[in-house]
Amino acid sequence: MDPVAATTLPIPGLLLAGSVAALAASLWLLLPKTSDTANSRRLGLFLGAVGLVGFAATGRSLGCVGEDAVFLTVAGIAVISGLATIVTRSPVYSAIWFAMALAGVSGVLLVLGAQFLGVATIVVYAGAILVMFLFVLMLAQPSGMAPYDRVSNEPMLAAAAGAVLLGLLTLSIGRLSAAEPPSCCRMPSRAQAMAAAAGPTAGTASEDDGSATLIAPVTAGVESVDADEVAHLGAELFGRHLFAVEVAGVLLLVALVGSIAVVSRGEATETDHRRESR
Amino acid sequence: MIPATLLTNALLVGAVLFCLGLVGILTRRNLIVMFLSAELMLQGVSVTLVAWSRYHGDWGGQVLVVFVLTVAACEAAVALVFVLQAFARTGRLDASAWQALREENLPRVIDHGLPADDRVVPTWPHLSPAGVLPEGDDSRSLERDHV
Repeated sequence: MDPVAATTLPIPGLLLAGSVAALAASLWLLLPKTSDTANSRRLGLFLGAVGLVGFAATGRSLGCVGEDAVFLTVAGIAVISGLATIVTRSPVYSAIWFAMALAGVSGVLLVLGAQFLGVATIVVYAGAILVMFLFVLMLAQPSGMAPYDRVSNEPMLAAAAGAVLLGLLTLSIGRLSAAEPPSCCRMPSRAQAMAAAAGPTAGTASEDDGSATLIAPVTAGVESVDADEVAHLGAELFGRHLFAVEVAGVLLLVALVGSIAVVSRGEATETDHRRESR
Repeated sequence: MIPATLLTNALLVGAVLFCLGLVGILTRRNLIVMFLSAELMLQGVSVTLVAWSRYHGDWGGQVLVVFVLTVAACEAAVALVFVLQAFARTGRLDASAWQALREENLPRVIDHGLPADDRVVPTWPHLSPAGVLPEGDDSRSLERDHV
């Protein structure tokens, strides 16, 4: 092996450090502070763009696809909207930026081939949870922009902590991708193992009225987009994890009852007085 | 099954989303924005879980994300009720409005040089009143004595 290539780090450390530092400075400049000016915001936007481009270059040098324009687009939407969610002053705009971030995350999930979760993220998060947030904002928003939306707690320390965590995570991800063998060597062995595991199941499928084929493990080596992804996920969810699904249903019910019980604790009515005096 | 390069890309996106949510929940003081930041962290974790699940061809990660969605819905319902109750008591969505609950040895947060509220008062068009205003007590608009 070439000694130069062997000693080369999988990640260009200087590029990573620079881009993460630029991201931290941009976060510190963009977060609401008392000393905000238009120029500091512009500088923050510029530094943020520089940091994101540097970070994308770092990820690309990990041997990543990078040419996958669809992934790059949806990931960029998710990250930029996430950034805007936490730096926007108005909480309503913050919620709307979060909806954009959800759209980006849903696109990432679709690119990864998780079709059900991509759609469920839009339907459940953006359709239900986010609308609930907006309802509460409409109910609880004092008129105008509140002063506590224009200041933040320790923006410099928090941005530095986030940048350090991001750098460490990227380093460990880079080490992981360096340690893992290339996917072309790895997949066939796993595919053979899975095919061996699926063999007896497929054999008994004819006697089992075909129900066993539903919960058979995914045959490896298929293309990235699985046509029966939703069916497989449903079979796994209601087969192996049926008890957990029931527990989740009970959790939903308890949360519903609990929230109604907390919110409807008003003044005692006449009926209550009558009941107590009896 | 996805290639390892796509796995690395998705892990990086998940890490960035998680760190952004962390910074948001540490710095912002609006209770609802703090909550949105926590949801952003959950999104980062979801992306990571789905990426690993697709990489290994194992459905456990995606099943876990389904439960993350469920718990997030429950959490949002319960926590938003508490936020509404807190707003009804203090009239603010400020986390520092509840600093009387802090530890004894921690200093009190005092805001210095809060920016003035320089919002523009909108000028609404003058409309001639139609009908009669309904009788009502505004102070009780946030309370309900029955469901």
